[in-house]
Amino acid sequence: MWSELRNLREGVDLGTPPRDGAAVSLTVDGKPVTAPAGSSVMVAAALARCPVPKLCATDTLEAFGSCRMCLVEIQGRKGFPAACTTLVEPGMVVTTQTARLQELRKGVLELYLSDFPAGDVPGGWSELHETMQQTGVTTHPYVAGENHLQAAVDASNPYFLFDPTKCIVCSRCVRACEDIQGTFALTIEGRGFQSKVVASQGECFLDSECVSCGACVQACPTHSLVEKSLFEGGEYRAQSPQA
Amino acid sequence: MKKDAVIPRPAGRRGGPTLAAADAAKLQPILDRWAGVPGSLLPILHDVQAAFGFVPPGAVGPIAAALNRSRAEVHGVISFYHDFRQAPRGRHLLKLCQAESCQACGSRELTANVERALGCRLGETSADGAVTLEPVYCLGNCAVSPAAMLDGELLGRVTATKVHRLLQQARSAR
Amino acid sequence: MTIKVCVPRDATALSLGADATARAIAAECQRLRQPVQVVRTSSRGLFWLEPFVEVETPQGRVGYGPVEAEDVPGLFAAGFLQGSAHQLAQGNVDAIPFLARQERLCFARAGLTDPLSLAEYEAHRGLRGLRNALGMSPAAVVEEVVDSGLRGRGGAGFPTGIKWRTVAGALGTPKYVVVNADEGDSGTYSDRMVMEGDPFVLLEGMAIAGYATGASYGYVYLRSEYPHAARVLNQAIATLRAADWYGASIQGSGFAFDAEVRIGAGAYICGEETALLESLEGKRGMIRYKPPLPAIKGLFGQPTVVNNVVSLASVPIILDRGGKYYADFGMGRSRGTLPIQLAGNVKRAGLVEKAFGVTLRELIEDYGGGTRSGRPVRAVQVGGPLGAYFDQSLLDLPLDYEALAAKKGMVGHGGIVVFDDTVDMAEQARYAMEFCAVESCGKCTPCRIGSTRGRELIEKIVRGENVARNHRQLLALCDVMENASLCALGGMAPWPVLSALQYFPGDFGLPAGKEPAHVV
Repeated sequence: MWSELRNLREGVDLGTPPRDGAAVSLTVDGKPVTAPAGSSVMVAAALARCPVPKLCATDTLEAFGSCRMCLVEIQGRKGFPAACTTLVEPGMVVTTQTARLQELRKGVLELYLSDFPAGDVPGGWSELHETMQQTGVTTHPYVAGENHLQAAVDASNPYFLFDPTKCIVCSRCVRACEDIQGTFALTIEGRGFQSKVVASQGECFLDSECVSCGACVQACPTHSLVEKSLFEGGEYRAQSPQA
Repeated sequence: MKKDAVIPRPAGRRGGPTLAAADAAKLQPILDRWAGVPGSLLPILHDVQAAFGFVPPGAVGPIAAALNRSRAEVHGVISFYHDFRQAPRGRHLLKLCQAESCQACGSRELTANVERALGCRLGETSADGAVTLEPVYCLGNCAVSPAAMLDGELLGRVTATKVHRLLQQARSAR
Repeated sequence: MTIKVCVPRDATALSLGADATARAIAAECQRLRQPVQVVRTSSRGLFWLEPFVEVETPQGRVGYGPVEAEDVPGLFAAGFLQGSAHQLAQGNVDAIPFLARQERLCFARAGLTDPLSLAEYEAHRGLRGLRNALGMSPAAVVEEVVDSGLRGRGGAGFPTGIKWRTVAGALGTPKYVVVNADEGDSGTYSDRMVMEGDPFVLLEGMAIAGYATGASYGYVYLRSEYPHAARVLNQAIATLRAADWYGASIQGSGFAFDAEVRIGAGAYICGEETALLESLEGKRGMIRYKPPLPAIKGLFGQPTVVNNVVSLASVPIILDRGGKYYADFGMGRSRGTLPIQLAGNVKRAGLVEKAFGVTLRELIEDYGGGTRSGRPVRAVQVGGPLGAYFDQSLLDLPLDYEALAAKKGMVGHGGIVVFDDTVDMAEQARYAMEFCAVESCGKCTPCRIGSTRGRELIEKIVRGENVARNHRQLLALCDVMENASLCALGGMAPWPVLSALQYFPGDFGLPAGKEPAHVV
């Protein structure tokens, strides 16, 4: 069933991994949709063509629930559950677009942008830019706050580089290295605002336990981890994929 | 992205930092003691810090190997918890509580006084290496704020005078 | 005739010199050739009197405090072994007003016994609860706890019996009991007092929880800032094992239960149950999303009861005297008693165990005696660093889960921190964001980045920069943190901030009358 669902839209990342349970019927933004039992609300919303904004979710990795962009409203439940970590239930009524949700998503994205290279917002293309477009948020109100914009690039690996200034600590790289590759070469060092992605004990990628499989590069939503081949003559040339 | 600021690569080390033989011998009994115990990483790290005064970066590889985990994972755990330090600290460890109950009883002024006297800020070590000054957020001694802990000994109703006297005693006792 | 003199071994008492006091008493007894038995007991929790020395006289226990080592010769000279008058005399301990008006269920034995004497524990109704439980079906034990109305005393206030029912019905073996002893809230020390002063009541509660839910092993996750508690708990566990009250078949019943202590490593967030479980599993203390609940999928993926120390320490009396006995105390949906901890700038700081319903004013003024400094009470923070700051106008609120929640405050773990009129509430609000930033696990964006931005905004407002705009932005940020955070650290860090803005706007340089609402 999963491959059939995937083929409905080529190249669409449904957000959380496939499940093969019995079909569950629910409603998203007024549209009836079915998803296999054990699927997340995020998958159901994507199938209903009402995709929810996301940054830390990708369908090759188990849900993490950290970015807080995918919040939705569910009838009969308090608050704003995250679509990626909420499982579908029969008869569930989900709303993905309300003024309140827009307010909260804007607030979250503004926090991300307050610690992101401003010069990189126009022109470059990544899932982050897609999310900014989806939510209509391209600026933030925070003036001269603490940030990580002086961090140095690690270009030790011949195939990819790591630019920590664009890291949003979504942990997709760490999770990919664990769950997809099984190498466990990456970790988050420190905690809170000081959290940073490092390889092994803080070595450069080339000296670490990394085996250059590229799973982290594929997983990164901001091109913080990015193939060196995307640079032509020193200029970053990532293009937005055709819709 | 216009410029690549490249991190200098250390010469050919792919196994990470290592331990001297004597230290490795000191580490092994700790790993043996906790072998097979579920969730043993924090107890191991506490024992290592008790034995060495800190968690040597060279210990990470052997600990990871003993637990069938990666160096990255173990490093991530060590760096998460404020108790674990990866470098030696001063001979004496003075923790001053910075939380609300102690604030209500003058901990900010006390802290400023001690910082001036030691010539270092919270999180730093005095220039002579005698005292490391650290913040702590609640010692459970809130009925007798302000509270502090010197070399593991709990103190209550702390005043600047009391702190200076105790530090002097500790320094001369060496 | 040997006279019994009690000197507490509680950490607070020790931090004020109780060991030196005890040594001085022993030395003076030797010098005067007085037959005296110095017993190191738990503390009564009258901390303004520590080191608090009690003499057992035919008229009962007579107290003296605070007794420092140098006061000891004078006490002997005045005849304190007979309970005579002295500058430090506090009279008959049971008659001390602070103590006499309490309703001590969980803390029934505080100050009375040697914490590590199993015989004294049993003589004071200890182990009756576990004995009763072993003679009931596990399901009946769960129902007794449901009937008691006991709600989690860590702060969430979730009905304990319902949690146990969930674990009891969950599939999977083994199951675990995990004790949340990461008491990190400033102004709280009741968990510490239980672990140091009456460790058997906690361990007994754990065994009853294990019996009721089908769990055979317990972990006490204890913060590293409590080294005394660790030592006492470990000794107590060893004592129970030796007496066949922990082990492969408790008292030959066929029920197996044992436990161990695990030490934390300086992370307040590990007081949140899912981060605590991650830490026990040897990982970074990161929050797990719920569902699944730990009751179904907890420690090592197994069904797990996670309870606060006081919650479990309140269980033996429920199984001893019945759930209804416990439920008869309290008001509304807040049944039973709460050990309240008075802290901060208060004259008489200590442990007050009372039925829900006592007011904040009664606690601070009648029990506490007002501020230690003698200056007026200006602000009170209830429930820990994520609790609201209340001003004088709210002190007539009763201590009750629903009553405080209605005012955007919280009971939490029962800590009350008193501030006098020298407090700068803008600085307290700034600290609330700073503390959130220091302790943030870093997983979710609203807390990881929001707490730093929140601190920066408050600093700018206080500096007078773009005040109206930054104030609006701070309210918007608080809304995002409250409604989008993954856990209560980011979710409730706005509570002290918003309450400070609401009740003390002048401290921020803001005009009065603005009511920043919690948006939901």
